[in-house]
Amino acid sequence: MVEEEKFFAWLDGELTAEEAALVEAEVVADSQLSRLAEEHRAMATGLRNAFGTVEAQQVPERLRQSIEIDRGKKVVSLADARASRGVRRAPSLWAQMGALAATLAVGIVTGNMLSIGFLPGGASDPIQTEAGRLVASADLENALYAQLASARDESGPRVGLTFRDKSGAICRTFEDRAASGLACREGGDWRIRSVFQGSEGQSTDYRMAGGPNPRLLEEVDAIIDGEPFDAAQEKAAAEKGWR
Amino acid sequence: MESSQAFERDLSQLLPRLRRFAHALSRNPADADDLTQGTVERALRSREQWEPGTRLDSWLYRIMRNLWIDTVRSRGRREIHEAPEDEAQTVGSDPRDALDASLELQRAMAAMERLPDEQREVVSLILIEGFGYREASEMLGLPIGTVSSRLVRGRTALLGMLSGAADG
Repeated sequence: MVEEEKFFAWLDGELTAEEAALVEAEVVADSQLSRLAEEHRAMATGLRNAFGTVEAQQVPERLRQSIEIDRGKKVVSLADARASRGVRRAPSLWAQMGALAATLAVGIVTGNMLSIGFLPGGASDPIQTEAGRLVASADLENALYAQLASARDESGPRVGLTFRDKSGAICRTFEDRAASGLACREGGDWRIRSVFQGSEGQSTDYRMAGGPNPRLLEEVDAIIDGEPFDAAQEKAAAEKGWR
Repeated sequence: MESSQAFERDLSQLLPRLRRFAHALSRNPADADDLTQGTVERALRSREQWEPGTRLDSWLYRIMRNLWIDTVRSRGRREIHEAPEDEAQTVGSDPRDALDASLELQRAMAAMERLPDEQREVVSLILIEGFGYREASEMLGLPIGTVSSRLVRGRTALLGMLSGAADG
């Protein structure tokens, strides 16, 4: 009878063609061995299928976030941050705009400046101007209000991280094909804190895109109080109307 | 930097497989996700230790396996192999029952639970994750003969548990 370890090595395709042929001949000639081979094949398939259900599950958001948060820190801290895709593509004007949006009432940023990039324009733009202020479009407003990052759909603005800033307000990052940015609750509205040019030109498939602009994550890092919300905290905050 | 982004992208893409391996090692969904997160964090911290051009998956599996060993040690979980008697019986339940996918997974995890750690990791890497004997031996830092004999013992025990009522 064929040695046990050799039998299994054959079953696992670990033998040379020559050795495999010898074992195979023995197995074919021995009904007990043939049956054992079948049982083990079926068992291994069952095991793979059972654990395959884990692989098919959606990856919990906190795992994805731990990579995204790190990406923000890492890229920003690297000397070659400028070489990174998002930054290289963003004209410095956009960075200035982001800073303005973050620190000023955005009355300054209107008209001509806005028309340089994605603002304002078609109804699908995530951000529009209203009496000289940057406001979320209806789509973005809806997404910020209702979308849970843990249950996102694949079209329209996508909400990323949710967290509390140091003043206690709830903030959420968002990303669209044209832009990414940060909005925080202020007086019952979503107030746009900053905007960065998005991953325009990259894949339209969000899962393949490069993720949020590193500058956005840098800003999140600067204002976040503690950790980003996990799925349960996010859901609870949504139920309380983001207060 | 492109290579940094590529690392993160590849790491993201491997998350489903890392979770699968974590479930096989820890046999518990909550532990599995903690283990996956710990692995991701450790990998990001020590990314410069990974040599581009070598397999990222093997490197990550090795980190996960080491982290799991540390976790078990620090918890002092010596009770791991002592599955209760009634659980042993449900493990061999009739496969003709229409078990849904999550029950199949529970059943598989319960069977894995009853293997010694050193057999479970070999079974996971080779039978579930699909690595070759050589790759598994390198990941585990074990001679290939040891891997092979642990695999024989582990899969033989599993066959007894999972296919008890396979025919009839």
